[in-house]
Amino acid sequence: MELTKNITLGVYLPGDTFIHRLDPRTKILGTAVLVIMLLFLKTYTAYGLFTLFTVALIGLAAIPLRYALSGLKPMLPMLIIMWFFQLFLFRAADTEVIFQWWIFKATEAGLHMGNLITLRVLFLFIITTLLTLTTSIVKLTDGLESLLSPLRAIGFPAHELVMTLIIALRFVLILAEELEKIIKAQTARGVAFDRGNFIQKTSKLFPVFLPLFINAFKRAEELIIAMEARSYTGGRGRTKMKTLHLSRVDLAAAAALFAFTTMMIYVILNAEPLF
Amino acid sequence: MPIETVNLSFSYSKGTPFEQEVLHDIDFQIKDGEFVGLIGPTRSGKTTFAQHLNALYIPQSGRVIVDGLDTADKHTDLVYLRHRVGYVFQNPDYQLFAPTVGEDIAFGPLNQKLDRNEVENRVRVAMDQVGLDYDTFHDRDIYALSGGQKRRAAIAGVLACKPKALILDDITTGLDPRGRDDILRIINILHREQNITIIFISSSMDEAAVLAERIVIINQGKIIMDDKPRRILEKIDELRYLGLELPEVSMIMEKLRRVGYKLPSDIICVEEAIGAIAAALREGGGQ
Repeated sequence: MELTKNITLGVYLPGDTFIHRLDPRTKILGTAVLVIMLLFLKTYTAYGLFTLFTVALIGLAAIPLRYALSGLKPMLPMLIIMWFFQLFLFRAADTEVIFQWWIFKATEAGLHMGNLITLRVLFLFIITTLLTLTTSIVKLTDGLESLLSPLRAIGFPAHELVMTLIIALRFVLILAEELEKIIKAQTARGVAFDRGNFIQKTSKLFPVFLPLFINAFKRAEELIIAMEARSYTGGRGRTKMKTLHLSRVDLAAAAALFAFTTMMIYVILNAEPLF
Repeated sequence: MPIETVNLSFSYSKGTPFEQEVLHDIDFQIKDGEFVGLIGPTRSGKTTFAQHLNALYIPQSGRVIVDGLDTADKHTDLVYLRHRVGYVFQNPDYQLFAPTVGEDIAFGPLNQKLDRNEVENRVRVAMDQVGLDYDTFHDRDIYALSGGQKRRAAIAGVLACKPKALILDDITTGLDPRGRDDILRIINILHREQNITIIFISSSMDEAAVLAERIVIINQGKIIMDDKPRRILEKIDELRYLGLELPEVSMIMEKLRRVGYKLPSDIICVEEAIGAIAAALREGGGQ
């Protein structure tokens, strides 16, 4: 049993590609641009172009496509449920009814809406995973902090917020590893997690989550002590060992993204609405 | 209850960029009632290997046969099999969850659907076996236990399932010398009096050399030595090369040999060492 195998969010895949070498700020801003762009895509053509761009990014970062997609596996049931909700519940004026049974009515508009929203969530996940897969946690922190630092003038705790985010991201993997060990320890004492009805299965989670939570609190406390032992007092007066520099690669990436965005804006503005 | 592996291989994160071979083609047999020390440096694959023996891992290739049952066979009752082969984890915090010691130890037997009296009986026997007084500790809060007591409670929780074989995964790390000795004594008694098969996992030769009848050295997913402790300790340079912690007795004997004393190379315990050194001094070796 390996729980960590299917977690790709928050994992860093070391490499030395064009994408890996980019300044983290370029990557974070680029990701933000792509995410905002996703919210405006309303045609299949637009999604087709976006897919091409994403595949190119994955290729440039030399990430195996199968691995990049494997993190989606645990999300599949949710995506399918969402698709059905849209299919049956989305209503639009003068749209064709594809299928009707009792109170359930699937419309053509619903079908398109379901497809588009599912695609949107899929790409949101892939794009953000791509950022964490190609950026080490240290660079991600530095980049985020540097981007948020202008807000410090109005009293916004940029450093603290980023630190909290990064620790949370790290804990995803640590907790998954612990969860695996706990499940094994209880399985060894004869718990059959896959047997029984819903209530029985739920009650079996108790011996797993109790130690998990207690260990998580213990770990958090140890982390606090370890940080304080090294005189951590937050971001004030803190300097960096490696400072960030924008280089020619970043300029090239920005230019490419600008060209893609301009093209997509053109596509979005000239799109025929689907319904 | 014999345990056997045939051509067992395993890779972590199979099918991802992090794929890594952990076990490579392992053939291994353990006889009923044997005490085997499974020794290897960290990340050698010893834990992954041991977790195959009670079906926490199902083989990716090759086979694991416990008491004639193939763990990969869909018809094998894995819950039954895991009760026959107990597994004690290094960190008791992963196992202990109930509010009191008694309730936690009862967890395994309750999963076996035993009646209340039998469960309580099992708890009493298991606590007795690990030296936790029933009246004192039965209702004690799990989180009020010391490190050594927690570990004993964890062992009792597995013993209450009445295993025929017991896998102990690095259970002495982080204990003080007395806590360590207590645990080792308990294990030794279980082995001698109950004839329980013991698989003792460690990265140190020190404890296993004295207790085990057979030592299996695992490195980079392969079994590289499988012999009696004495025969293994004769290859002291190889063991050191692997980064294994050596018994203090062996290291002292080696140093003495190096300065010219004529001492046998297969000494594993303090008493033998005293005898051999006395004999060597009578002969008048050294520089």
